[in-house]
Amino acid sequence: MTKQKMYLRMITSSLLRRKSRMLIALLAVAIGATILFGLATIYVDIPQQMGQEFRSYGANIIFLPSSEEEELEDETMEKIRAMVPEKQVVGMAPYIYENIRINELPFMAAGTDIESVKTTSPYWYVSGEWPGDETQVLAGKELADTVGAKEGEEISIKIEGADGSMTEHKFRVSGILQTGGNEEDYVFLSREALSQIMGREAGIDVIECSFSLPQDELKALSDRVSAELEGVTPRLVKRVTESEGTVLTKLQALVLLVTIVVLGLTMVCVATTMMAVVVERRKEIGLKKALGASNSGITRDFLGEGFFLGLLGGGLGIGLGYLFARAVSMSVFSRPVFFHPVLIPITLGVAVGVTVLACLLPVRRATDVDPAVVLKGE
Amino acid sequence: MFWRMVRGTIFRQFSKMLMIAVTIALGASLATAMLNVMFDVGDKVNQELKTYGANITVLPKTSSLISDLYETEDGSDGAQDTGQYLKESELGKIKTIFWAYNIVDYAPYFNTNVTLAGKEVPLTGTWFSYTLDLPTGESVTSGINNMKTWWDVEGEWLTDAEEDTAMVGSTLAESAGIKVGDTISVEVAAGNRDFTVKAVFVSGDESDDAIYVPLAAAQALAGKEDAVSSIDVSALTTPDNDLARRAAKDPSSLSVKDMETWYCTAYVSSIAYQIEEVITDSVAKSVRQVSESEGAILDKTQLLMLLITILSLIGSALGISNLVTASVMERSKEIGLIKALGGKNGAISWLVLTEILLTALVGGVGGYFAGIGFAQIIGHTVFGSAISVKPMVIPMVAVMVFAVTMIGSIPSIRLLLRLRPAEVLHGR
Repeated sequence: MTKQKMYLRMITSSLLRRKSRMLIALLAVAIGATILFGLATIYVDIPQQMGQEFRSYGANIIFLPSSEEEELEDETMEKIRAMVPEKQVVGMAPYIYENIRINELPFMAAGTDIESVKTTSPYWYVSGEWPGDETQVLAGKELADTVGAKEGEEISIKIEGADGSMTEHKFRVSGILQTGGNEEDYVFLSREALSQIMGREAGIDVIECSFSLPQDELKALSDRVSAELEGVTPRLVKRVTESEGTVLTKLQALVLLVTIVVLGLTMVCVATTMMAVVVERRKEIGLKKALGASNSGITRDFLGEGFFLGLLGGGLGIGLGYLFARAVSMSVFSRPVFFHPVLIPITLGVAVGVTVLACLLPVRRATDVDPAVVLKGE
Repeated sequence: MFWRMVRGTIFRQFSKMLMIAVTIALGASLATAMLNVMFDVGDKVNQELKTYGANITVLPKTSSLISDLYETEDGSDGAQDTGQYLKESELGKIKTIFWAYNIVDYAPYFNTNVTLAGKEVPLTGTWFSYTLDLPTGESVTSGINNMKTWWDVEGEWLTDAEEDTAMVGSTLAESAGIKVGDTISVEVAAGNRDFTVKAVFVSGDESDDAIYVPLAAAQALAGKEDAVSSIDVSALTTPDNDLARRAAKDPSSLSVKDMETWYCTAYVSSIAYQIEEVITDSVAKSVRQVSESEGAILDKTQLLMLLITILSLIGSALGISNLVTASVMERSKEIGLIKALGGKNGAISWLVLTEILLTALVGGVGGYFAGIGFAQIIGHTVFGSAISVKPMVIPMVAVMVFAVTMIGSIPSIRLLLRLRPAEVLHGR
């Protein structure tokens, strides 16, 4: 029998025959690795996931025409969309503003793409329905209260047509909009409907965009747009971007610190358990020494065992940790978590490292002592 | 004899027992730290989210609404006169509502238009960092210094006492060529008034076109003493639930019990309702952009922390019971010997359990205090403030340590008791 075969045999039989103890050790390593892999996955994924949540604050960058007389075109919107990675575009909504009269009172009508608005302003509360077709409008609450419009009723909107004369049009109020902000003074309808009553194809007055990008990338985008597209002035919505930066940094720091504390404590926990398991085997070490094994040989035996345990426990932990991270992500963000392959070698490395280190400390102490003393049981 | 044996184990196998105590302490400290952080994270994140500014705005009831309401009566009921403005003298009352403690900051605004170098520009009077004496004898400081955290201010924030100073929005400053240190002269119907520009700010919204001055100065310009056009309130709130949504629609539709629950919970709608109660002829609205998003983010963060806490609790529980099992198994020979000498099963179980539980007690207490330390490190590093120590964490950790130690030791003790002393001592 070759030396290597004997070595392997000793390790495997030690693992297999001392089932209960090895199970305990394996469990300890697996727990450690699960926590490591799970938390690391969450930590890596948090910025993006939380960033998505912060998009509920609505648009973080808007694009305006450079001068008040000009208007933006649909083409510009497509060009801007092309500058941002598809995955980061949460929503882009074009707005056209026009003066109107309801009951002879002056108001503002906003023509927009209703479906896009739902993505850029997720905080809007509509009692009733969103406008479904071109005959329906969404009335702001203040406006509705002032003119006495109710959900489901008809209102007539007067607007200056292309030829300069005032024309009157009937619309059905599909819902009342509540935001707590200026939007409550407006009436919202589809772009097509507004163009129709204006009697011409109107260009866009402002594009509201909600991109899931950090502040510096938004700034870069804004610089790029002002350099490449003529007649477009980008403006960061500072309230949203600045605050998002501050809060998101804090949240990340929180998860990072929690991860570090949990990991540190867990790893020490794993190490003490391993040490307890190994300390028990002092007699075995003494016996081996008495039979003529060298200190380095014994150390190598334990190293091999530790390595196996670490690898096995680490592998188990990766599987369990991923399942955990996935469960967390699904229940918190309702999105599956991204699997980060780079964490696999890190988890295995830490698991093996901690196990081996925890094995070697007590082994070193046992090998330093005279076998006779160890075997006698002192 | 029993206690002598216990003492013997603890002192003679000191290092082994110490290791168990240390592991239990680690697990307990982890549980303590995570539970404390988890219970406090809502409040802490809520505080951070205040950087988004006001979540409630208070406006005067619009005159049209009032004339609508009173259209059956003759128009001379006096409501018309007060309809347009809120009263500055009533502002202190906001700090006297049931949830006064939750109101972090608030600022009144008075908007008017002035003529600057031939062009009409909006001018807003507000509190910057105003100290108000309450009827209760306390004094509070609030204003936009703390509420507009996203403003980029070049120069200095104004103080409320210096009424001849102004802050100018960046867009306006650029188009009118105003710099910090300049003196601008604004015209109103009543005459001219000079202001020294102490700052130019970038806000990223429509305030960039406006001039900001202390409230008293703006009121004097328009000749409207005590008048306020709107109030921004920044309050710490509880995320909305079904009850809050029902109440927001119509508070009078709730049953007495629900109404009480709603009124005594810090929902944004109940705080708004209470503000309406104290400010005459006002409508308090929740700014949905801020309040809705706040709720969503708070919920998510709390859930995330809860799940991480559960993971670490399971981890430390398994870790502790694992080690306890290992350490009990190790004592097979000792237990075999006691059995051979005639020890009863019950007595042996008691002995081992007492030893382990004593160790667990020491470890648990040590771990609890270490855990509070960890929690404070997290609090100070992340939020710059201490995590409040919740007394309810103590029983939770105590129960966990006790249960986990028992679960770890009882099966292994039973296993060992089932073995025959001769076999154990023989070394199989």
